[in-house]
Amino acid sequence: MSLLLQLLVNGLLLGGAYAIISIGLTLIFGVVRIVNFAHGEFLMIGMYVVWLFAQHMGLHPYAAAPLVALLLFCLGALMQRAIIQPLLSADGHIQIFATVGVSTALLNLALMLFGADIRKVDAVFGTEPLSLGSLTYVSGQLITFVAALLIATALHLFLKHTYTGRAFRALSQNRVAAALMGVNVNAMYVLAFGMGTGLVGLAAGLISVQYPAFPTVGSYFVLTAFVIVVLGGMGSLPGAVIGSLFIGLIDSFAGYFVGPDLKEVVYFLVFLGILSIRPTGLFGLGRGSE
Amino acid sequence: MAHLLQPRAYVALLALLAALLIPIGLQSSFVFHLAIQVCVFASLAVAWNIVGGFTGQLSLGHAVFYGIGSYAAGLLVAHFGIPPWLGMFAGALVSMITALVIAYPTMRLRGPFFSLATIAFLEVARLLVIHEESWTGGSAGLNVPLQIGLKWMIFREKWAYLLVAFGFFLFTLLISWMVRRSRFGFYLIAVREREDAARAVGVNAVNAKMMAAVISAALTSLIGSFHGMYLTFLEPSSAFSLEMSIQIAMFALIGGIGTVAGPVIGAVLVLPVAELARGWLSAFGNGTHGFVYGVLLVVVVLFFPRGIVGHLSERVLRIVDRLPRGPLPQKELITSLRPSFHLAPKGTPILKAVNLEKRFGGLRATDKVSITLHAGEILGVIGPNGAGKTTVFNQLSGFIKPDKGTVQVLDASGVWVSPSTPEIFAKAGVGRTFQIVQPFAGMSVLENIMLGGFLHTPHRNEAEAIAQEVADLTDLTKLLHTEARSLTIGGMKRLEVARALATRPRILLLDEVLAGLNPSDVVKAIEMIRRIRDAGISVLMIEHLMQATMALSDRIVVIDLGRVLRQGKPEEVVNDIEVIQAYLGKGYTHAESS
Amino acid sequence: MIKRLKHFASVVGCAAAVALALSATALHAQEIKIGALFPLSGGLALLGDESLRGVQLAVEERNAAGGINGQKIVIVKADAVDANQAVGEARRLTSGDSVAAIFGSYASGIAVAATQVTELAGVPYFELGAVADTVTGRGLKYVFRSNSTAKNFADRSIESLTQVVAPALKVDPKALKIAIIYEDGPYGTLVGGFQKDEAKRLGLNVVESQSYSAKTVDLSSLILRVKSAGADIVLHTAYQNDAVLFFRQATAASYKPRAIIGAGGGYSLNDTAQAVGAPMEGVFDVDFPQITMNEAGAQGLKEFTAAYQKNFNMLPRSGHSLVNYVGAKAFLEILARAKSTDKDKIRETVLAYRQPPGSSAAGWGFQFGENGQNQLATTNLMQWQHGKLVTVYPAAVATAKPILSN
Repeated sequence: MSLLLQLLVNGLLLGGAYAIISIGLTLIFGVVRIVNFAHGEFLMIGMYVVWLFAQHMGLHPYAAAPLVALLLFCLGALMQRAIIQPLLSADGHIQIFATVGVSTALLNLALMLFGADIRKVDAVFGTEPLSLGSLTYVSGQLITFVAALLIATALHLFLKHTYTGRAFRALSQNRVAAALMGVNVNAMYVLAFGMGTGLVGLAAGLISVQYPAFPTVGSYFVLTAFVIVVLGGMGSLPGAVIGSLFIGLIDSFAGYFVGPDLKEVVYFLVFLGILSIRPTGLFGLGRGSE
Repeated sequence: MAHLLQPRAYVALLALLAALLIPIGLQSSFVFHLAIQVCVFASLAVAWNIVGGFTGQLSLGHAVFYGIGSYAAGLLVAHFGIPPWLGMFAGALVSMITALVIAYPTMRLRGPFFSLATIAFLEVARLLVIHEESWTGGSAGLNVPLQIGLKWMIFREKWAYLLVAFGFFLFTLLISWMVRRSRFGFYLIAVREREDAARAVGVNAVNAKMMAAVISAALTSLIGSFHGMYLTFLEPSSAFSLEMSIQIAMFALIGGIGTVAGPVIGAVLVLPVAELARGWLSAFGNGTHGFVYGVLLVVVVLFFPRGIVGHLSERVLRIVDRLPRGPLPQKELITSLRPSFHLAPKGTPILKAVNLEKRFGGLRATDKVSITLHAGEILGVIGPNGAGKTTVFNQLSGFIKPDKGTVQVLDASGVWVSPSTPEIFAKAGVGRTFQIVQPFAGMSVLENIMLGGFLHTPHRNEAEAIAQEVADLTDLTKLLHTEARSLTIGGMKRLEVARALATRPRILLLDEVLAGLNPSDVVKAIEMIRRIRDAGISVLMIEHLMQATMALSDRIVVIDLGRVLRQGKPEEVVNDIEVIQAYLGKGYTHAESS
Repeated sequence: MIKRLKHFASVVGCAAAVALALSATALHAQEIKIGALFPLSGGLALLGDESLRGVQLAVEERNAAGGINGQKIVIVKADAVDANQAVGEARRLTSGDSVAAIFGSYASGIAVAATQVTELAGVPYFELGAVADTVTGRGLKYVFRSNSTAKNFADRSIESLTQVVAPALKVDPKALKIAIIYEDGPYGTLVGGFQKDEAKRLGLNVVESQSYSAKTVDLSSLILRVKSAGADIVLHTAYQNDAVLFFRQATAASYKPRAIIGAGGGYSLNDTAQAVGAPMEGVFDVDFPQITMNEAGAQGLKEFTAAYQKNFNMLPRSGHSLVNYVGAKAFLEILARAKSTDKDKIRETVLAYRQPPGSSAAGWGFQFGENGQNQLATTNLMQWQHGKLVTVYPAAVATAKPILSN
């Protein structure tokens, strides 16, 4: 029994880590309607910046997180403005490849600048193993989990109660109508993309306590993040959170009962299964087109 | 053969031959390798394009078929001594079955959902191959025994490899070209652009997509088998590689998806540069060439979003067309192909809808609606906005299934049938237009209309003939070779009608075909509808323009709140108090009718 | 404006291409070119680069001593991340650049793919670091390997268990519960597989054997399985990231086996030890010889270390540079002795080349079998003690005694 509880805890906490990474992705997906293949590389940049702050200024990753978020916000906004915006009227395929190009360029840039070594932050706070009865976990994991929920809630309130949030929601439902209602589409896209990558910056700060930075670290998370976002429904915030927890639980339970080498098979198959029943994901908005 | 004397044909052939002759001329092992790589990747891109470009489904997991092909051939050679020339067909068969398995559940997915689903399949395949190491060799890989000879597809001489690679390339290109030029190709593009409209002209969208997937998978698999023999070493992460899947899609994209030559040009331009660049740039430090590659990709995408073929094709074709040409064979005149369908005697019922009911949640959109269309009549359907007219239409053409009630159509042989899907309705002789007009933008007006013509013939030239006739009927003859996207609204509306007419319907459903037209266009449209009726086609039209409806209709049905309010001759209906109340509200009961 | 830019860009691009092509074909007579094929980008870049450094040091040393029969050695670098690129680069090296031989390649996939090309092209391939037995197991005539194989790694791990760890714990090896875990790539699968075979052959009790994806971000379930099985000893073949992850999550799950024996990869890297911190203390590692060996058993080790520091301003990051250096040095000597670039003459010289154990900086001797494999290549058992990886077995090269708690 305690084994099952431990697996549950492990799964939920892992889900928390996936959640903060996926929230930004689903925001970008939902509003700008673009598959950002460079999402993992933004995470990677964030983690390197966190490490740099730690190395040179002694900042704890949690303290550096807001700064990194700001930096990544600017980078994301820049990417949207300079690269995605000119391509908005082109086919979806084109946009995807632009982001693939950015992803390749960033990954190799990191390789050129930092080399292939892993860079781990020497943090103390957030790395203590704790226990609750026979259940074990690491403080950083719990902090990440709670942070994910807080961020999701904050974002939800933002989407519901602010003009910008409503504009985002309008854009995700009908781009043309939103424009006709006076929403400055391009500005909103820049903002949304920036916010999405800014959230990734927060994620970088939070997970740098557990994971080191290296050029390909983004690719370790990104595919799963995509699966989560699509599974939960593109643009759906509750979908991203629930999808993350769901995938985290599958990872944990399948990893134990089926085998660590086949757990991805399990969650990919679950993913495919759900999509064949609900083509727009668990909480997706109706149509399934785009 | 005379076609070969046309500049476009012989320039293309010369270009292809160059790919073969240059390496042989230079006699450098590396250039051979490059040429072989170009052949392989160009083939992969062309094969991918059948699904990604023609059908518009962005598959990012296509390497799964490549992997199946290389492993099938490799395993059969290594474990059973079966030559790859046979093994590759086994691989193709497995790939085709896999394509069906993948295509069926992902059929309904669009855009990123589809792409991610294909990636998921790729990853599952890769992980399973790793897991089953007892017979696949797992991560350690599979060595193809180095047996030299044509039988084993392994050669000492590079030119032999190049010839085989070139052969595969030509084959793939041929299939792609045939698909594009055929009815099937038309159907794919139509499904890609506007699935609903395609179904309305009888295209079975699901079958078309599956067929495309199967063809593409088989081709990709064959090439994978060859490449496996070329590399002589297979490993799961290279064979089932996400990077490769993205790369082949990229070549197609850079060159221009949706065209036959696009993927080839993309591969030819990018691949050699990438390989050479890796050589030079490695000297500058790790990651340099990857960085340059990524940046270049972004730059190319930004400046050539329609692909190089898309941007340069006009200019290049203009230059090519100026080259000397041989005499063109005379086009044989094709006599009219109007199939003689059984003209039902005027006034007899040919479409019967009985007690149709449809609910959407709590809303009763269609409430016991019964409509009968008689041969040779124009039946107008009017009613206030939101009355449910289009919903009824959709039930009369197979786009919505009624909860209760039946729709029966008298088909060409005089039998009453109950069609269920849009394609079957189309085949039964019901054609329709759509309220929101969107032609198949990537095609010319002629090709748009031909799409309807293909319902009755698989041959291009026959479909073309039908299209010419219909263009005459709908006043589009002068616009036949313009791109559909550049028509005026009036032209687009006529195009909608023309495409429906090309399916040789006996019943034509027109959904607000006069909306948004200027007065002179309306007059022309009215004349056109009359011509259509006079040609023997019964028309059922939803309209808001009262004058036109009055002028055209033999009978009028009024629908309000999902129910039939009144049916009868135009004068009776229009002066009916209930009808006036429905349109204008009770306060206007005593207003003069217009 | 954009059109002009495009035009300009294409003109510049063409000019650059022409210039580079011209320069690449310039001929230099008093040089002998050798290819160096390693993964220099992608996931294996770190150790690929480290391996290349070993070759570079050997070439520099040799050039300073007069080159090969008076000819200066020039390295032509080639970067290959996977089998496809390996084939391409091998073709490039054996045609346009016409190298006399190719040195490589750290990753077995690359080695196997490239050697299929070089064999057909008749160019000798000197493998210095890849461990898959199939590199020299396919009956190829012009492929030679100086380093130890995956089987060596596996056998040494089990030997360490029975000859070092069990005695130090004062238990019978057969009483120990062993878990064998490994990343699911070629490296892990090979070593892990051979470990399982050897353990079975000796009748040892393996309670859990599992592979996992090297790109995983979570090993907690794997650790729970190992913990639930009650494993006392863990044999782990991993790269850097998964090694770090394992330790972090094992600590989090309060799982501490009595001994952990890594098999190279991440376990040998200083970065890993730094990232893991205290839990790394006392962890064993079977790998290529490292620089922390007893000089008595490895002649020339100090000079190597000094040369490395001078060239790269740091200590070697792993043992790969050492073994690549040692292997390259031997093969360069062989090329000189062959006095020819003829592949058969080179093969003859390779098979005739003998050096006693302890005569190279890695402590290896050289004696090549018919299949081209150096039968005197070994692996050593190291242990992390006070943040340093010291060699503890075999005695000839040991610099410290193994420490085992409880």
